[in-house]
Amino acid sequence: MTNSDEIRIPRFDAYERVMHWMSALSFGYATLTGLAIWSPKLYWMAAVLGGGFHVRGTHPWSGVVFAVMIGVMFRRWAAGMSLDADDRVWLTRLHKYATHDHGALPPSGRFNAGQKMLFWSQVATTLALFATGIVLWFPESMPRSLRLASIALHPLAAIGSITNILVHIYMGTAAVPQSMRAMLRGYVVPEWARFHHPKWYKAWRASHHS
Amino acid sequence: MIVAKLIDTTLCIGCKACEVACQEWNDQEYTLGTFGGTYQTMPDLSHNFWNLIKFNEMERDGGTSWLMSKYQCMHCADAGCLAACPAPGAIVPRANGTIDFVHENCIGCGYCITGCPFDVPRLSPTTKKVYKCSLCSDRTAVGLEPACIKTCPTNCLTFGERDELVRIAEARSVELKADGFADAGVYNPPGVGGTNVLYVLKHASEPEQYGLPKDPQIPWTVSLWKGPMKWLGSLMFWGTILGAFFHFVIYGPQDPAKHGHPEKEDEPSDKF
Ligand code: HEM
Ligand code: SF4
Ligand code: SF4
Repeated sequence: MTNSDEIRIPRFDAYERVMHWMSALSFGYATLTGLAIWSPKLYWMAAVLGGGFHVRGTHPWSGVVFAVMIGVMFRRWAAGMSLDADDRVWLTRLHKYATHDHGALPPSGRFNAGQKMLFWSQVATTLALFATGIVLWFPESMPRSLRLASIALHPLAAIGSITNILVHIYMGTAAVPQSMRAMLRGYVVPEWARFHHPKWYKAWRASHHS
Repeated sequence: MIVAKLIDTTLCIGCKACEVACQEWNDQEYTLGTFGGTYQTMPDLSHNFWNLIKFNEMERDGGTSWLMSKYQCMHCADAGCLAACPAPGAIVPRANGTIDFVHENCIGCGYCITGCPFDVPRLSPTTKKVYKCSLCSDRTAVGLEPACIKTCPTNCLTFGERDELVRIAEARSVELKADGFADAGVYNPPGVGGTNVLYVLKHASEPEQYGLPKDPQIPWTVSLWKGPMKWLGSLMFWGTILGAFFHFVIYGPQDPAKHGHPEKEDEPSDKF
């Protein structure tokens, strides 16, 4: 007799956890240093983080680390992130998901359609942040037209990306209990898997419990 | 009192004494330039060369013509460098209209280079901070005129109260028109609220020929970034945080025990 709570379904291996938290940490640092020079009202953050000159020096490097980590994440996850037929229906019922009307939702695989959309929009904003960030990094070797575009597009992409991540942090910490354990320790319990990711759970069961 | 510098390009003889005076007063190290086959000293401004006499050599008016101009910070009333600068106190508009760079506060981002419609600030590869003409704020503060003006041998450069200089410049262009230069006029571009460096030009309808932009303005992407985008950012940030908080307050966390449903009960059980 085993209690279902003691069964551990592996969700994220160490490679995935490290790549996720590396991108989260570099994103966090880039966000703080970026916000410090975003508005004079937030400039006190620069003082906390070592002064404006230091912040200007390190911000681009944290961006590079973040972009590389998103590249790693892309290689690892992109294949599993395309939307299937269920996902497309799921997206049209996003409001059902938000109001906990889970009965109205088609079953999800390893990632639900919302998570997949988060992934793709992070990939897109990271590409934009990286391209415009390189331009802003070396003002004297870039054409003025590119710099002018980047001055507006870099923060625009950042706003998009930060908004995504705020929602993501809310989902990961408060809205979906136990998902944090998946990303910190790597496993989930069957009840969680069955409720949140039924198709993924079925596949796991099929391969582990004949 | 707003001060200004008037450059009467028709009186410039290209002696470059002002360049030397600028280098000396500001104690600039000498950097070897490139010789471009013209009379010009340097091809461009640099972090340690803030004042360039341009010869603008061209064939026009029936012969070889030099449209002399003096290239340096314009000390704009509505300064693009200042609009773009993210570091409080790095670019300071002085009460006398001078736009001063305060290097202790500069973080070296180079945004001012992009914001400046005249392409003036330059990054130093060693200090990683930006430099440009200060209108000799360390001289004007104690009642001296800027070094370039002090040195100019032809009265091509005048320093003084801005309104007075505008009058002198207008009068001079009237004089030039009477002398047969129908296109003579004053360069004081309204797009940046006017500049505290004024020019008298022989061909005032073609400032580009002097290397001066025709209608300089603070770039709209800089204004967008400085203005509406700040609002968008705050809205998204606080909107998302409040939205998430109240979502939690209203709906609480997702709970398999409460939010499970009959169809899913058919799925294989975990209890065995
Ligand atoms: C510090 C803030 C963060 C927290 C607390 C956090 C938390 C989590 C958690 C708990 C999961 C697992 C969800 C599951 O098991 O389904 C997860 C997955 C994921 N994280 Fe994060 N994360 C953070 C930052 C980031 C950042 C900065 C990125 C990338 C830009 C990111 C990208 C992802 C992606 C693509 C997934 C897989 C799909 C998903 O769960 O949405 N995360 N995160
Ligand atoms: S010319 Fe450029 S650097 Fe000088 S005040 Fe105007 S915008 Fe600033
Ligand atoms: S380089 Fe210095 S002066 Fe120029 S915008 Fe950045 S902080 Fe301001």
